[in-house]
Amino acid sequence: MNLFREVWQSIVRRDPLSTDKGKSELVFHNVWLHIHPAKVKKENLRFRYTFYLGFITFFLFLILLTTGIALMFYYRPYPPVAYQDMKDLQFVVFMGSFLRAMHRWAAHAMVVCVFLHMCRVFYTASYKKPRQFNWVVGVLLLLLTLGLSFTGYLLPWDQLAYWAITVGTNIGSYAPIIGGQLREILLGGHTVGEAALIRFYVLHVAILPSLVILLTIVHFWRIRKDGGLSRPLWKLKAKKTEALVTIGAPADVAPLKTVAASQDKTYGLMEVVTGKPIFETITPEEEEDAVFSYPYAFFREAIALMVTVTSIMAISLYFHAPLEEMANPAKTPNPAKAPWYFLGLQELVSHSALLGGVVAPALMVLALLAIPYFDRNPSRRPGDRKWAIWLFTIFVVANLVLIVIGTFFRGPGWAFVPPWVHVVARAE
Amino acid sequence: MGRKLPPIFFALSMLALVLIVIAVWQSSTPSWKNYQRQYFQLEAQGEPNAVAKAAVLATPPQIHQILLPGLQRVDRCTTCHLGVDDPTMKNAPEPFRYHSGLAPHVPSKFGCTICHGGQGLATDVKDAHGNVPFWQDPLLAKDYIRASCGRCHKEGDVPGVPELTEGRRLFETEGCHGCHKLNGVGGSIGPDLTAEGANHRSPEWLEHHFLAPNVVSPGSAMPNFHFTRGQARALTYYMLSLTNADMGSYYSSVRLIPSPDYGRQLFVEKDCIVCHSIGGVGAKVGPDLLGVIKRHSPAWLDEQLINPQLVYPGSTMPEYDLDTNSRKALVAFMATATARDATEIVAHRSNKLTPEDVAIEAGKRDFARFGCAGCHGTELQGGVPNPNAQGGQVPSLLHVSDDYTKDEIIEIIRNGKVPPLDNAAGPTPPLYMPSWKKLMSDEDIHKIVEYLWSKQQKAKDSW
Repeated sequence: MNLFREVWQSIVRRDPLSTDKGKSELVFHNVWLHIHPAKVKKENLRFRYTFYLGFITFFLFLILLTTGIALMFYYRPYPPVAYQDMKDLQFVVFMGSFLRAMHRWAAHAMVVCVFLHMCRVFYTASYKKPRQFNWVVGVLLLLLTLGLSFTGYLLPWDQLAYWAITVGTNIGSYAPIIGGQLREILLGGHTVGEAALIRFYVLHVAILPSLVILLTIVHFWRIRKDGGLSRPLWKLKAKKTEALVTIGAPADVAPLKTVAASQDKTYGLMEVVTGKPIFETITPEEEEDAVFSYPYAFFREAIALMVTVTSIMAISLYFHAPLEEMANPAKTPNPAKAPWYFLGLQELVSHSALLGGVVAPALMVLALLAIPYFDRNPSRRPGDRKWAIWLFTIFVVANLVLIVIGTFFRGPGWAFVPPWVHVVARAE
Repeated sequence: MGRKLPPIFFALSMLALVLIVIAVWQSSTPSWKNYQRQYFQLEAQGEPNAVAKAAVLATPPQIHQILLPGLQRVDRCTTCHLGVDDPTMKNAPEPFRYHSGLAPHVPSKFGCTICHGGQGLATDVKDAHGNVPFWQDPLLAKDYIRASCGRCHKEGDVPGVPELTEGRRLFETEGCHGCHKLNGVGGSIGPDLTAEGANHRSPEWLEHHFLAPNVVSPGSAMPNFHFTRGQARALTYYMLSLTNADMGSYYSSVRLIPSPDYGRQLFVEKDCIVCHSIGGVGAKVGPDLLGVIKRHSPAWLDEQLINPQLVYPGSTMPEYDLDTNSRKALVAFMATATARDATEIVAHRSNKLTPEDVAIEAGKRDFARFGCAGCHGTELQGGVPNPNAQGGQVPSLLHVSDDYTKDEIIEIIRNGKVPPLDNAAGPTPPLYMPSWKKLMSDEDIHKIVEYLWSKQQKAKDSW
């Protein structure tokens, strides 16, 4: 029994969790948890402010990593065995259908949650100074998520996969000068074939996930370094922000920054450098308002995790991942559609290839990346930023409307059809 | 705040556990395990002693699959259809019943789906039988299964499937090639039929289509050939058998079945009657072949056909370089041949042709081979409806010499011709004369023209 305790204490070297010291040590003695602060502001925990969308996205990514690695044991990335492996997952592999369904639905959910997370960050103005760069990292993560979903789309090697990728890469090829070459490099040829499958596979299981992991680390790290989870700063009492403090400069040089007194707490590297940090800090008054991460934040995160996992599992039990006929380059479905999140672009392409293939996607990405640097309005109060909110809402609604039209209202020949046509076609 | 958090977390964890258990349960109780259990019980009934019974019942359930790389498929049908090759299951209920009359097409070498269709990879009833979305090759209805024989047996008669032979014959004689390409030969007015069987149209659709093309696909240029039901069925069989899938050398090497008919064809081709007689009819250089099968074993005859010198040193019989199935076919023919066969063969042989007749005969064959008869009729009578073309139908060829010179006709065959319109404002007629210069050699065209001229009726005759 003594030995058991000795082993346990060699692993967990902290005071009991009943003490404040123990609660703090749980966080900063643990390599996995120390990205958290030991204490968090109560208002950071409010569900209605963040909806925990960042966490949910991260948890979906964890589900995708685990199910994805499990699926790799059963998948060979060359046609036509790739398709046969899908059939084997469905008919022979123990829990194979369930595994593939979880991977599929979690992937779709992640695309949705990344987008919703971005909307939340925009509407709460959390991209503003000092968090501009983390917004940029977030936009890159959005693009990587779309890339992961898109490359994964091809792997089942069925008609859905084949033609979605054919159409998707065609949209990209409208870009002037580089478009065609980009497509050729991505596909390893002029059409989707064996070479494209192995390239998409390597991107899907090695390159893109590694980049996502690297950028996620930066994303999380910057949350801490930029002053912790975002919160409705404009609701803080005005008197705290009245006084201004000069920071970031030795005596004989021009000051780096003048900030509100509410941000004047110093985490200095004592005796090494002088100056004050550029991030939101917790004032002594607010400090009293903070609670220990354990158990308040950790249990909330754990509940978010369990809600995410159980939802995906429950959906996967009753809805199998779709699998159509084997890819057949000679038989084009009508209409051939890109993955749903690119259907807005395809809808635009149907009106103008230049608009949907080049102008719209390029502008969207550039605009998203530039938002924190163009929005010079320092206020985060919704009432002060009506223009920004209106513009972003139009952007979101336009995207949604185009995607809905492309998904439900487009039939053979990209003609306009009522959505119930698809239901009837499915039933036949 | 926070008091309720641990219980909620605990409840959610329990929910996750329940979901995992459901998933495991779902995966561990597939329907095929039930079928195997029933089969083992069926088997155990026949076992005499308790030990053997227990052993049968304790067989662990497992998926059975037949890997068929040569046919590019994996068939798991025998996971449930466990009695297919067990004759004691002759009277067992489905899905366990014995499949009689299979030899030589044993499931272990051929699987099931190559003949029956369906989804071999699947292991539950609905998916396996293929009546599910996104599986294009569902189980063939009983009436059409025999069409599958033609997938491997691409030439020659298939015993028990006269429809296939009839379908192939109709395709040639009715001139389908005129509009349809098959293995690279044929016109381009209708769709290429090289892989029609892989298009997975339903047999009923095909049969209906042959009876009334315009009813099934409105606006089709295909004329109604007024086929009988039997002919439509035969053509449907042929269409179903057309796949350009590579059947693998093992399967395609046996495509010619050594039937007596095929043997007789070889007998004529190799002119055996020049030396041999049957029942006294024919030449007397070699031995008479009537009853030769009683004097020698099939193996001996086979050896003789491979190398006559080896069996009879000094024999004057030449070596013919025949493949195994050709030799088997010849032996099969010899076993059934009578003096009457010989008389027919001799009579046909003595019917000598002049060189001109030979050219005309070749032209007639080309006329059929390239499918000209499809539109212009087997007797050159034309008459296939072609709306809005002058005369409203494809022209007869019985009077071309009145209107054209040979050179003009050669030109039309080479470059094709769009028929003059009846009503200039009307729609384009569905049928037209395609350009044949890429498919026919000049020699072919000349022969066809000779044939046409041989059939011309003088103007005065037709009045």
